[in-house]
Formats: sequence, structure tokens, C-alpha cells
Amino acid sequence: MRKAGIVLIWAAFSVGLIAMVMIPINLQTQLILGLLAVTVMGVIKILKAEGNWRLVALAFGTAIVMRYVYWRTFNTLPPANQPENFIPAILLYLAEMYSVMMLALSLFVVSRPLPPRPSPTPPEGKFPRVDVFVPTYNEDPALLANTLAAAKGMDYPADRLEVWLLDDGGTAQKRNSDKLLEAQAATMRHRELQTLCADLDVHYLTRDRNEHAKAGNLNNGMKHSKSELIAVFDADHAPARDFLKETVGYFSEDPKLFLVQTPHFFLNPDPVERNLQTFEKMPSENEMFYGIIQRGLDKWNAAFFCGSAAVLRREALESANGFSGISITEDCETAVELHSRGWSSVYVDKPLIAGLQPATFASFIGQRSRWAQGMMQIMRFRFPLFKRGLSIPQRLCYMSSTLFWLFPFARATFLVAPLFYLFFDLQIFMASGGEFLGYTLSYLLVNLMMQNYLYGSFRWPWISELYEYVQTVHLLPAVVSVIVNPRKPTFKVTAKDESVLVNRLSEISRPFFVIFAVLLVALIVTVYRFQTDPFKADVTLVVGGWNLLNLILAGCALGVVSERAEHSPTRRVRVTRRCEFGLGGRWFPATIEDVSVNGARVQVYGDLGEMPTSARAEIRFKPYSSATEEILPVEVRNRETEGNLTAIGCRYLPEIARHHSLVADLIFANSTQWSQFQQARRRNPGLIRGTAWFIGLSIFQTYRGLSYLFRTLGSDKASVVARKEKTA
Amino acid sequence: MKMASVASAFFLVLAQANAMAQPAPFDMSTERPAGESSPAPGQEPAIGAAQPSAGTGLVAGAPQFHRRYVIPAEMLTLSGENDQRTWSVYLTAEQAKAGARLNLGYQNSIFVAPEASRLTVHINNTLVVDEPISSPEGIKEFSYDIPYALLQPGANLISVQAVQRHRTDCSIESTYELWSNIDPAITYLAFEGGTAGVWSGIDDIKTLGSNAHGRTEFRLVAPALDQRRATQPLLMLAQGLALLTNTPNQSIVIDGSDVSPSEKGQVTVLVGTAAELAPLLPELPPTAHNNPVVAFASQSGSDLPVLIVSAPDWQGVETAIGRITSASHDGTTDQREKYATSPWRFPDAPFLFSDSHIRFSELGIRTQEFAGRRLRTDFNIGIPSDFYADSYGQATILLDAAYSDAVEPGSHIDVYVNGNIATTVPLTSSGGGIMRHFPVRTTLRHFKPGLNTVAIEAILKTEEDEVCAPGATADKTPRFALFDTSEFHMPAFARIARRPNLAALSGTSAPYGRRDSQPIPVFIGRGDPDTLTAAATLLARMAVAGGRPIDVELAASPAALSNRNGIFLGPLADIPPTALTQLGIDSTSLTGWGQKSSSAVDEARTDAALDEWRSKVSGGIWHTPLTAISGWLKRNFDISMSSLQFSPSADRKFVPPDNATFLIAQSANPSNDGTWTLVSAPTVKELRDGMLAMSTETNWNQITGEIVTYEGSEKTVTSRPVTNFSFVETLPPSLANYRLIAANWFSTNILSYALVVGAIALLLAFATGKLLSMLGRRS
Repeated sequence: MRKAGIVLIWAAFSVGLIAMVMIPINLQTQLILGLLAVTVMGVIKILKAEGNWRLVALAFGTAIVMRYVYWRTFNTLPPANQPENFIPAILLYLAEMYSVMMLALSLFVVSRPLPPRPSPTPPEGKFPRVDVFVPTYNEDPALLANTLAAAKGMDYPADRLEVWLLDDGGTAQKRNSDKLLEAQAATMRHRELQTLCADLDVHYLTRDRNEHAKAGNLNNGMKHSKSELIAVFDADHAPARDFLKETVGYFSEDPKLFLVQTPHFFLNPDPVERNLQTFEKMPSENEMFYGIIQRGLDKWNAAFFCGSAAVLRREALESANGFSGISITEDCETAVELHSRGWSSVYVDKPLIAGLQPATFASFIGQRSRWAQGMMQIMRFRFPLFKRGLSIPQRLCYMSSTLFWLFPFARATFLVAPLFYLFFDLQIFMASGGEFLGYTLSYLLVNLMMQNYLYGSFRWPWISELYEYVQTVHLLPAVVSVIVNPRKPTFKVTAKDESVLVNRLSEISRPFFVIFAVLLVALIVTVYRFQTDPFKADVTLVVGGWNLLNLILAGCALGVVSERAEHSPTRRVRVTRRCEFGLGGRWFPATIEDVSVNGARVQVYGDLGEMPTSARAEIRFKPYSSATEEILPVEVRNRETEGNLTAIGCRYLPEIARHHSLVADLIFANSTQWSQFQQARRRNPGLIRGTAWFIGLSIFQTYRGLSYLFRTLGSDKASVVARKEKTA
Repeated sequence: MKMASVASAFFLVLAQANAMAQPAPFDMSTERPAGESSPAPGQEPAIGAAQPSAGTGLVAGAPQFHRRYVIPAEMLTLSGENDQRTWSVYLTAEQAKAGARLNLGYQNSIFVAPEASRLTVHINNTLVVDEPISSPEGIKEFSYDIPYALLQPGANLISVQAVQRHRTDCSIESTYELWSNIDPAITYLAFEGGTAGVWSGIDDIKTLGSNAHGRTEFRLVAPALDQRRATQPLLMLAQGLALLTNTPNQSIVIDGSDVSPSEKGQVTVLVGTAAELAPLLPELPPTAHNNPVVAFASQSGSDLPVLIVSAPDWQGVETAIGRITSASHDGTTDQREKYATSPWRFPDAPFLFSDSHIRFSELGIRTQEFAGRRLRTDFNIGIPSDFYADSYGQATILLDAAYSDAVEPGSHIDVYVNGNIATTVPLTSSGGGIMRHFPVRTTLRHFKPGLNTVAIEAILKTEEDEVCAPGATADKTPRFALFDTSEFHMPAFARIARRPNLAALSGTSAPYGRRDSQPIPVFIGRGDPDTLTAAATLLARMAVAGGRPIDVELAASPAALSNRNGIFLGPLADIPPTALTQLGIDSTSLTGWGQKSSSAVDEARTDAALDEWRSKVSGGIWHTPLTAISGWLKRNFDISMSSLQFSPSADRKFVPPDNATFLIAQSANPSNDGTWTLVSAPTVKELRDGMLAMSTETNWNQITGEIVTYEGSEKTVTSRPVTNFSFVETLPPSLANYRLIAANWFSTNILSYALVVGAIALLLAFATGKLLSMLGRRS
């Protein structure tokens, strides 16, 4: 009864607000309202008021957005008898309404994200059996070795844990391929991985035919195993020791639970971060998703499977005939299906795996194309809004997740729209300069403030727009193609083992320079029109400002596609671990300062004497997984002596499988390090400082992009991408 | 006392025009509204009995030509490069039949180039006059024969157009130096034969039109005016006459017995029982002793006839007056479709009550091609008295227009509402352009109840004008075309009446002229001719504004006005103090008005002047960009501290300023269920003069706000805006209308809107908080 009362009261206030918003007040009144809303939101933000005050700020923002929508709908569209204005105007209008709808959906999703909670531990002695699946297609054995070793090293009763390498690169189909070279490679891989698995004491499993890609591979794994729970890790996603401890407990709490998902934490920057050099100081792109959106989804029991770093219940998967494989994003699709069958999911907001991101911009785009196309396929084949069995919040949540990938249309429209006015003098947005100030500017401000309010410490201002823009150029055709031909796209594994050896332009950078040039011309036209057409100066100023914003984004994107050479191919993780450094039979006390997948940096105390580079040495330390000290052979790469302390950079020389476990123990064992690293980046610079920073960044990146372009034009050197050989 | 001389000064001939031509008795039955009791049997040819004396024929000395003045304004000025006025002139059957000439006198500005400028007059769409405009030095007079059978009985359209070009200058500014004035005193239709001036029925009163001064003036001579019995009928008669002529500048003077030759252009109306009128008019129609009579006589030495309204007793006089009032209005209670403006502006202005589209062709704007640099054309629309959209609303003009490639960017089309700029549309494309139903949004801020004028002005800049070679102004290559398929779109607007609101009174005589209205009590201080003149003129003007006669009753005491709409009229001393208190007039002004100097007004003037000077003085270097920005803000938003107030400051008692000689004030009645209007002045003389001055079109339109004063010596009108008002519902309750009313109210009280939205947002946020902790997973 009380519940109905609250719903009624809420509905009454909502209707009241909508009714107020629909009153056709004049511009002055709108301006005062806008000022009030911005002030209230600003004050709440400055006071860092949380709880209900967060909702107050959002409610003020919503009122302004609704006023904008009302005004935009009834006052700004050109008449239909001017098709040259009307058609582009409607497209722009739809793009804006799409953005507003996405804002509304995301407001719903993140209305109250669940705060992190302590994970329940499974009752002592009642640990469920767990199968760990590591599906692989073409990844490097060394990479797999780390992952498998880390999986094997998880803190869990050994008799309850089975690790499976599911190899799709060594299937019978591949080994017997008509292409000789391919067949040879597959056979080699098959053999090599079998040995590795035997060394690490994990199961190797392959199949006859590569059917249904990753979903088929996982389903094949399910056929050959029988544990109650299934943990899935991508080939490059190495779990921390506490992964299962943090996740498995939920399954005994809720018998209808099908999924515990954990965030994907990356050790290396994505191409955008690397090229803009923001990895160390700015939160990664996916942190907005894992840091807040999944938590928001969790509130509505709609956290979904992200393909890796998750634990699933076999019973649930079997009830739906395993992993679904209609789309190329089998993960989300499987989650929709199981949610619709009444199963529930949990999200654990703690990085428990560390993975790799694609290094080149082209691979990054390839990965995003797969996500976008897969989500479109889910829209097409399992339209979540009308999917039976889903609760209403779940439907909205899934709509939010899938519709998000239509952003290339909206972004492209916003990019082109100002040009209609600047180049062709089309009136596609009928408003005076004053109205732009009163409605559009207050809407934009409030929109930015709401975004900052919702995601502030996870996403800095304008970064969303930048990511959307850099993806749009190549994603738009991909999304169009999947809409036209929804069954066509096939699963392509994202390459994550590339690295860029010299500074170069991405092979898909050309459109970005063309767009930049066009926008630059538009800027010149703006200045010209501002001077020659004083009667429209205010409108020209607004549209020109909009174009300038696009130009800033496009300029920054030039930096994104100008790829920097990598000096350190993998990310170093700071650890502080006591160890002993052995050189020529002598042992020195030492500390491991930081580690990466390939090597470590060690501070050694004492006089090491003469030592040739590439000398063989050893590190002795106690891994988390065992009580005794063990030895890891390394090769010295460089040294730096300062008094009694010598800093030594060294590279691992793993010889036996146990060495991989030691490396994994060094890098992956302690997930708290990752949390600390993430926390260090999570600060909100605020709207003003964030914007100023972004403009500065953009100016520099524009310069960098153009200088890369001129250098490339000058030397015309073929771009160099190298698949880096990794020494095992 | 004067009567004897009066009678001898008159040569009265009862006009029975048709009686001269045919023997049929003069019958007025057609003027009698259906349902009115017919005269007693046996008196059937009631007025016909007047015939013998009526057949006396022309009096010696009567003019050979009868003049019908046609200009409905004190001066008809055609200005700019292209100006036109069309109006209708009512002619009797006799006038239409008679051979006629058009006499026209005008003078033009020295800058008008005669070779490129023409004055044309069309009568009933037939060209009658086409002359080069070439009289800068003095008034030039022409006379033209009007083609046979062109004039018709009833309404005839006269259209005067001036196309004027500057002699030497091609600038936009120069077009403001172009004008031609048409003199109402020498512009008239001249009809041959004396019968043309003879009226034969009540409808012929409509032919009166304007006089040589562009005004319509009646003088009601009522010997019994000091009897209270006579007041109400006189006020009704005033309204009936005003409505019949339906011109904008009317005055109705009431006089007791002075029948001395009236001022030029005044029509004398004799009102009273036969016995009362007999001393004034020996030749009174004999039937008047038996029956109600409305008859006409001509007056020697004047083109204007004399109207006689008489009966054996006052009840009969009222019946006779009833014939006139019922002829002036068809008695319908339907919603008013048109604001009848034809006698001075053709066509009648359509009344817009809600969402409506009107084509320019219906508004009297014709498709026109234009070769000059400033084209101005306008139209009228009527707005109901409960219009309440001045703060938020926007009308749209869907413009069909085209401009040639000669027109350069920087040209623009402006829309003016009642003389205030409302919108500017820049013409930006340099290769010419065609606008098809191009929406031009026009703020409703300057609209008001009653008649509104919307003007569209195209400012066209071309390279030729920059160069301005000799003769360039005479170039006839069209640059701009305006098509009559353009539309004026009035959206649905908020409708609720406000109390007080003098603009509603001047616009449509609301709330007194409402269709369903009971008789309106009028409290008149005393029955002297001056006070009655003011009352009659006020009511006549209100009747024209409202388009219907207002049924009035004379209130014996202020008590009769409580709980009702009512009007107080009289010198301040005669007004009951309770009424003054209610109307917010300081009662000390009872003794003080007219003697002490008023500092309040001076202060206000000083402030206004200071503000004006501030805007004129430009500061240093920093000042210019700042003023540009603040000017832009002001133009676009016009937010001042006063607009941020929550409630208007407490009502100050109004002390009539010393220089004011006349005031109109309005407020709610004490029980707040009716509207009281006060019309007052320090003395009866000032009351009369003030009311007559205010009845002219220009002054009447300035009656807005809650108090209006007229300063006799300066001839200025000052109005005090409404501070506190209450709403009066005029339509059945509907959500759609309430929404629009809220829009206007919030747009006037802009802080309130932000606060209400803020409060709801706050409540919604907390409700959402409760809801969220109830729904979904809890942490």
C-alpha cells in the first residue's frame, strides 16, 4: 500500500513537472530557469552533496532538457514545404532526440548505482567445483602461458578447480586445411599448446570444426566438462589470485544466479590513451562502463556478461542450450536470454583480471566494430524492449546498452549539421541567437553538468565525444552494413599482440584529415560570414561555435590516429616485494619495484661488481601461492648504480611451466595493486578545468597530427606494423 | 430666452426627398425593427402626415452642389514610396443617382519627383484620378467627373494611392521625406442637384461620414436635458448615431436649447417631446404630436441636414430613439466576426479569437511588385478584450515574397505591430530569393484588445542605390514582390479578462459592451450639458469600439452600482468618496486637484529623461563593446529588475498630477465581481473638453492601464500601467486555455516560473529517492 502511495506521489510530481515544462513561456522566463538550474546544479556539485541531492541536481537538469525538447519540437523545425531545409532539419532533430533518449535511459540506468559490497565467502568446505575456460584462437603461447598459469594459481581448493584451454586455432578443420602453410601452423600450434598445457597441468581441448566461433568453442568446452560453475577468461585476461574467492560465494546465496561479472582491467593503454598519453592520469574509457554503468545495471538486475572475467552457472547455461551464438557478441546475447528466463546476475566492482588492449588504432576500430555490429544484431534478433520474460527495468537497461551503438548516426549528424548553414545557408534550425542562448546553451551546459555529475571521476569532459567521434568515422559504415545485412558479420578476434615500432599515421587515418580540412574551411567561412552578414551575426556565431567544437574534436582525433612508437610495449605495474637477486652464485638482498609481462625492475643492495648486459641472473622470492621461495631466471638488460643501490632492468627467461606461474604470481597475484592504480586516475577535474585541459590537448594533438602528416607525405615511408615476437 | 432668435435663424425644411419625386407617403416602416409595436390603427401613415409640409421643396439659398466630404481623418498623409488607403463611403440612392464630381486637394513634399510620382484614386476599383504628384508649394485642387453609374447606393470604395520617388536621393532615409497630404476640407464628392443632400431614412445617417475636419460631430439639442428622465434616452441616441456613422473621430455634444447656427460640420439633432421642440421648430412634423417621429430637415447655409427625434411624450421619444439604435445594430448576440472599420479602413478587420489563418488577400493586401527601396504595407486585425498573450505569444506571418538578384545582403523585412518593431527578417542570399510561406515569427507583445495594425516593411538595398546615378529613383525594374497568398497565422492564445484593464475598454468597450450584458448603471454627477456631453461622447466612442450599443441605465445613487459593472462620470466633486477610495484615487485630491503642484510626475519625468540621456551618452573605449552586448541582451531578453519582482509593489493612492485636466480610472468594484470605471475632471468644462479630446482616434487608442490622464495644456495622454489585477473568466474552463494563461502569467512573473519548476523538481527528486530505495536491488 505504501509502495503504491509512493508511486502515485512520484507520478503526480512527474506529471506536474511535465505540465510545467509544456507551458509555452517566453524567452526571458526560460533564461531565468536556465540560470537557476545551472546555479543549483553547480552549488550541489561544489558542495559535493550526495544521496538525494544528486537526484535533485539531476531533476533540475531533466527539467531543462525537457524544456529544450519541448521548444525544439514545436518551435525550431522549418516548414515541411521547404524540403531542402526540412529533410536535414528532421535528421538533426532525430539525432538530438536520440541523444536525449540515451540520456534518459542512462539516467534510469545509473539513477542509483549499487555501491561496492563485501563479497560473500562460500561456506567452508562447500566450495563448488569450477571449470575455468580460456578460449583461444590465434594468441601467442607465451601470452596463454601467463593466463593459464595465473588461472591455475588462483586461491581455490585445487581439487575443485579445472582449467581448460579451448583452442580454436588448432582444430581438425584448421590442421587439415587445404592451405598448406595454414595447416602447418595449426599443427604446430596444436602440438605446442598441448605441451604447454601438460606442463601447467591444465586441460587442452580443441574440436573438429570452427562452428559458431567463440560461443561454439565455449559450448564445446561445456560438453567435455561437468563442474557446477564456469569461469571464462579471454586468452589475455589473467586472473588475480582472489578471483574465485570474490565471485563464487554469490552462487550459494542465490540459486537463480547465472552470472557474476567483474570488470576488465587493462595493463596497457588503448591506442587513444597511448597516442594522447593520458593512460597514467586519466581514467580509461571502459572505466565508465565498469565503474558505474554496470553498477547501475546491477541495481536493476541487468548486469550483463562481457565475454570474460566472469563466472557462470552451468545449469543456467544448459537451460538455454549453452552460450548463444546468433550475434557476434555472444556474451551480451547470452545474458539477455538468461535474464529473460528469470535468471539473475551480479556485478562485482573490483578488478580481478588484468588484460591487454589492442595496440593499433585499426585493431581498436575492429574491436569496436564487432561490438557495435553484435549489439545491432541483438537489437534485430532479440529486441530487448519486447522480449518476454525481462522485467521492465531490464528491458530499459538492455535498450540503453544496445541503442548506444547507434551513436555514429547522431555523431555524424552533429558533425555535418553546421555545414548546411555555413556552406549552403540552409535554415535547418529555426532559432534566433537569443533563443540559442536561452535554450540550446542552457541545454548543453546542463547536459555537460549532468554527464559530469553522473560520470565525473570516470569520464572527463569531452572524452566521450572524442571517443565517439574517432569511432564514428569507421563505425558508421559498419553499423549501416549490419542494419542492411544483419546476418553477414562474422566473429573476428581482436589482435592484441601488435605493437607500433615507429611513429606513424594509422593506416585508416585519411578520413580524419579530410574531415579536419573541411571543418577548417567551415571555420574560415564562419569568420567571413560573420563580417559580411551582420544581420545574422548572432546565428553565425552560434553555428560557427558549434563547428569550432567539432573542429576541436577533429583536431584532437588527428593525434589519436598519429600512432606513437612504443618504448615499453607492456605496462609496468608497481609492486613492492622483497626478493633476492642472484648473480654468479651470489645472492643480494633486493626489492622488486615494478613488473610487466616481459620483465621486472629490481633494486639491489650491495656491490654487484662487473656485470655484462644480457648476463643471466636469477630472482628468488616467495610467491603468494606457496610457502617456499622459488627462483625465476632473468636476463639483465640495463643497470643504474647509485651508492649502494643498483636499479636493474631485467627480462624473464621462463624455461619451465613453473616459471610462468612465478611471472603470473608477480604480475597478477595482487589485484589490490590494480584497484590502487585505477583509484589514482579517478579524479574529477570538473567541467571548466576539464574543458580547458581538453582544448589544450586538442591544440597539441592537432599540431602533432599535422606534423605526422607532413612527415609521412615527405618521406612516404610505408607504415610499419609489426607483430612483435615475444620471447617465451 | 434665446429661443426666438434661434427659431428665426433656422430655415428648416422637412426633407422628404422621395416625396418630391413620387407621391407615395414617407414611410419609415422599414426602419422599424420587427416586433416593435406598430402605431395604433388609424394612425397608420403616421409620419406620412408630415408630408404636406415636407413637400415644401428647396429653400432658396441652398447650395446647388451638395458636398459629401470623404476623408476620414484630420489629414490624410500618404508617405514613403508607396502608400495607399482604402475606405468606404456610404451614399444614399439619391447621391448615387446624381451626377457627381470628385474634388481633391493635396500638397506634397518638395522632395517628391513629379516625373516619377503619381497620385491615383480609384472609386469602386475604377481609376478616376491619375496625376503626377507636383504640388510642393501649396495645395493643388482638382476636380474630376465621376463616370456615370460608377457610384452605387450604399457602400462605395475609395482608394487613394501615392507612388512617390525622391528627386535626388536613393537612400532608405530619403524615403521618409516623401509625403503627400490630402486635405479633408477640399476633398469631397460634389453631387448635382439639391436632393442629393436630403436624407430619406434612418439608414441615410450612414452617409454622414466625416466632415471637412475629418471628424463626425453631432449636437443633440434637448430642451429637457435637465430632466433626469431624458438622460438615458439621450445616451442611447448618442450611441445609435455613432454606430450608424461608425467613424473613428466622433464627438457628441449635448445642448439644452442653443440652436444657434452650429459650428461647421456639426449635425444638429433635435430631441424632445413635440411640446418641447415646438418653440425651437415651428415646422415640427405635426405627427410628432401623436406618434414617435424620426424626420429630417435641411438647414439653410449648410450641407448637413437636421435630424428630428420627437414624440408626444418621453416614452415615445425613447421609441423613436430605439428605431435609430436598432438600425445601428442588428441586435445579434453572435460573436463579433469583424471589427467594422470600412468607413476609414477597408476591409473590416477580422476578429481573431483563436487559432486562425488569414490570407493577405482577405486582409486587403494585394500582390504587389515594387521597384523602390522601402515598401510598407499594413493590415488590421481585431483582438478580443480577454486577450492575455502579450508576454509569451508569437504570431506567425507565412510570407510569400520574392526579391531579385539586385537586392543585396543587408536588406531586411521588418514587421511592426501598432508601430512597434516586432521582427526583422534579414534577406541574406545575394542571388535573389523566393520565400514560400516563409515563417516570420512576430511577438504578440504589442497586441492589445480591439483594433491592431500590423505593418510589413521591406528595406531593400541595392548597388544602384549606392551609386545613385541621376534618375535612378525612377527605375521601374521590380526588386521585390509581395504575394497576397501570404498568411497571417494567429495561434491559439490565452484568453482571460483582467480587471482593471482600460485597454479592453478602449479596444472593445469590455466589459460594458459584452453581448450578454445587463443594462450598465451609469452614475452621472449632474445633468448639465457639459457632463452629459462627456457621457454621450464616451458612450458613443465605446459603442463604436464595441460594435454595438451599450444598454445603460441611469444610477440614482452609488448603491445601484455595487455588485455590478458600472461607470461613474462627473467632476471629481460629484463622485461619491466611496467610489474614489475603491478606484484608488486619493480623496485629498477632491480639494487639491488643479491647485497644488505634483512632484510625483516631475520625478517620474526626471527619471525617464535621465534614462534616456544615459542611453544617448556613449562612454569611453570600453563602453562600446559592453553596450553592444548589453544592448543585444536587452533586445533579446529585456530582463530588468522590475521583471524579477514577485508581486507588484503595494498600490499607491493615485494623486492626479496638477497638469492633468481629465482622468479615466478603472478598478474592481468593492465586491470584486464587477468593473468600475471613473471618468472625471476638476470641473465640468474640463470634463467635457477632456472627453472630446480623448475621443479622437489617436488619443482613444492610448487609453490603457488602470489610470489615464489627459493634460489639457500639453495635449498629452499619460497612462499608469496596471499594478494589481484580478482575472475574470470569459470562457468555459478548459485545460488548454489554462495552460496558455499560465504561460502568460509565468512569462510576466518570470522568477515564479523558475521557482515553481524548481520546487517541483525538488519534490520529484525526493520522491524519486524514495521510489529508488523501494525498487530494484537495495544496497
